[in-house]
Amino acid sequence: MLGYILRRLVSVAFTFIAVSLIIFLMMHAVPGGPFDANDMPVSEAVRAKLMAQLGLDQPLYVQYLKYMWGVLHFDFGVPYQSPGESVLQLLSRAWVPSLVLGGLGVLIGAPLGILLGMAAALNRNSWIDYLASAVATIGLTIPVFVTSMLLILVFAVWLKWLPASGWPNPERWILPIIAYAAIPVATYARYTRSAMLDTMSRPFVTVLRAKGLSERRIVFQHVLRNSAIPLVTVFLPMFIGTATGSIFVEAMFRVPGLGAYFVSSIETRDYPLEMALMLMITFMYCIAYLLSDIVYALINPRIRVGGAE
Amino acid sequence: MHITRKLVAALAVATALTLPAMAQSTISAPGQSTSGTYMDYMKTVYDRATFAELLQVPIATFDKEFELTPMAAESWSQSEDGLTWTFKLREGLVWSDGEPLTAEDYVFALQRAATTGYDFAWYWDFAGGIKGWKEVTEGTADVSTLGLVAVDDLTIEVTTVAPKPYLPSVTSLWYPVPKHKVDELGDDWALNVDTIVSSGPFEIESWEKSNNAVVFTKSDTYTGPWQAQIDRLEVDPTLGAPEVGLPAFLAGDADYSFLNTGQVPVAMSADPDGIRRNAVFATSYLSYDLESEPFNNVDVRRAFYYAIDREELTSTVLRDIAIPAGSILPPGYPGYNPDVVAQATFDPEKAQQFLADAGYPNGEGFPEIEIWIREEGGYNGAIVPAMAQYLQAELGEHLGITVNIRQLPGADWMDGLRGATNNIFIAPYEYDYLDPSNFYGIFYNGGRHNYFVPEYDALVAEADSESDWDTRYALYAQAEQVMIDQGLIVPLVHPITTAIISSELGGEATEPNSLGFTPLDRLGHYFFTHLTK
Repeated sequence: MLGYILRRLVSVAFTFIAVSLIIFLMMHAVPGGPFDANDMPVSEAVRAKLMAQLGLDQPLYVQYLKYMWGVLHFDFGVPYQSPGESVLQLLSRAWVPSLVLGGLGVLIGAPLGILLGMAAALNRNSWIDYLASAVATIGLTIPVFVTSMLLILVFAVWLKWLPASGWPNPERWILPIIAYAAIPVATYARYTRSAMLDTMSRPFVTVLRAKGLSERRIVFQHVLRNSAIPLVTVFLPMFIGTATGSIFVEAMFRVPGLGAYFVSSIETRDYPLEMALMLMITFMYCIAYLLSDIVYALINPRIRVGGAE
Repeated sequence: MHITRKLVAALAVATALTLPAMAQSTISAPGQSTSGTYMDYMKTVYDRATFAELLQVPIATFDKEFELTPMAAESWSQSEDGLTWTFKLREGLVWSDGEPLTAEDYVFALQRAATTGYDFAWYWDFAGGIKGWKEVTEGTADVSTLGLVAVDDLTIEVTTVAPKPYLPSVTSLWYPVPKHKVDELGDDWALNVDTIVSSGPFEIESWEKSNNAVVFTKSDTYTGPWQAQIDRLEVDPTLGAPEVGLPAFLAGDADYSFLNTGQVPVAMSADPDGIRRNAVFATSYLSYDLESEPFNNVDVRRAFYYAIDREELTSTVLRDIAIPAGSILPPGYPGYNPDVVAQATFDPEKAQQFLADAGYPNGEGFPEIEIWIREEGGYNGAIVPAMAQYLQAELGEHLGITVNIRQLPGADWMDGLRGATNNIFIAPYEYDYLDPSNFYGIFYNGGRHNYFVPEYDALVAEADSESDWDTRYALYAQAEQVMIDQGLIVPLVHPITTAIISSELGGEATEPNSLGFTPLDRLGHYFFTHLTK
């Protein structure tokens, strides 16, 4: 197992390098640069001066190597759009609201979704099942900015129970968290339902019933555990999704999070920030899938990571 | 009795505690951009932090009637030859850290702008025409050659390359930079609330960089005109998108909000008295290739001028997003002339007559034409394509002309315009500086359209350097009369913005101007200092 983890970490390093190269090249292949205004461009002399100040006049490979050398020392540069701080400082402040929003969204949404999925699987073709399907379908198909708007309209504008948007106090977090949680609830309800139905149709469940085990023990000790694999597969990546912020939920509810930076860094050709964001996601996905693989092995002894042992 | 007395005492204490809080007036306003780099208008305009300009006092600025009002300057005068302007600053103006505000701070602001890649540098060449500006920004001349001198602490001299009678209005975008702070910290003084100093009616309290939200407070040190009448101004750019702003407004989180087209009826039914409209200083017009068939014939152009029902256009397809345009100048813009506007009528019979005079009775024999429009975002994205389709129907109905529409990317459209590879265009233009010379310059001596109309050019050239304002406006009106008589363009519409404001807001700034428009934060200095709550 340890050898497997080490091998995987090495492959993570290679993935990291490959992704950084691709992102870097794509970033610079996009036409335009940080000082190319559409209507009233600065003079050529001034543009050249500004480019030199940021080191953008150097050959691309020099720029890449310099940047990656910095990354090795946890120096991701200074964002063009916020020159008073480093990229790391920017990320660490903007990340907090995104983590609170996304983290609570998943932590509340996932268990709810699992419960709903279980209830649906155990009461197949009953009204609970239909309700769960409806919730899952609605949650997955209605865009989150529409859900957000409805929530604001109903709870803030009509009922006046909660503030419409903003982030200064926890009272204002409730609506965006609900909006955000809709996705994990829907996803988990669907996955849990189908995984459990699949497991319950297996012969070993019939055997357990024949042995006289209580339905509760069958469900919680056997079915749920055997259905957990697909749930783990979705969980960690979904958690990373939260860390990167939801652009729409954050915009609709005026959350000062990370989401908007994904767009603005590309729009403004903010190369250091764009690279840092992409590298961060890459790194987190690599680690998340590694952890998922390890958790698979822990919950299901039939899976042996790293080939035959 | 005892209980009552206790109650009264408790109430008195509670009232005493809440009174100071109630006396504080706070405005919650939408901002414009959710990201901003420097809190310094003279460092960057396009990437500046939210309302950076509110912190500093310009030389002069505009009120809601677009009358130029002296701010930091007390007075100004123009030399005999028209090339040099002398601005006298008010005494007693200070920075919020107590340092005196001097002519040097204004001169330094532009010297730094000319040498360090200011993204608004073009303005000081194009609108300001400051002597040496072009050479200094291109790096071929030294900054000392600029036509800018701080004669003493309260006197600034500006020299221009040609007489610029409107130079004082150009100074509405001239803010001081605290030289003493830049000497100490460089441009970084404008990155951190602790080191930012102000010279205008507001001070800064906080700046949330994640969304560029800023809290301003009334300045204790500002002694100039237009003091703030509110205590706090909270500006949040995330309220700037109407989709977010209106719900927040309806829930009581914002004091006003801009509206998108779909929201206007909702807002109208919520509070019709709260609706405010403003004309954007922009105009969409039809322009032609004057050299080639069929638009080389003035009667054809005159026919088009009378064939368009702007009232119907702006009350149907462009309802709530545009108003009729009868002049290249939008309403409220300096030099706007109602006599010019009144001529732009819809008169299908006259139009048909002109077309018949041109040799195309009922459109017979008129070639099929293709109107070229530019791919647009922003307000033009909603206006231009819809308007093109309307024109297509109108010209077919009233003149019997077959019109096609072709949409092109900006660069291709511009090539078509300048290279005359097509003969008719819808062209939108938004002002760059507040003077008629800006709009009339579009058609001057080639300009944007390769128009060379000697009679027009002579009038515009004369007006551009005329120092007497009545004469000047009269000359521009004559120039526009040439445009009308020769059918150089057909003014179509001006875009408008619509907003809803809370009934709690008061003050002059919330009342429409004499033309019925309320510019709101388009005139930040005026708006936020003439607002009460």
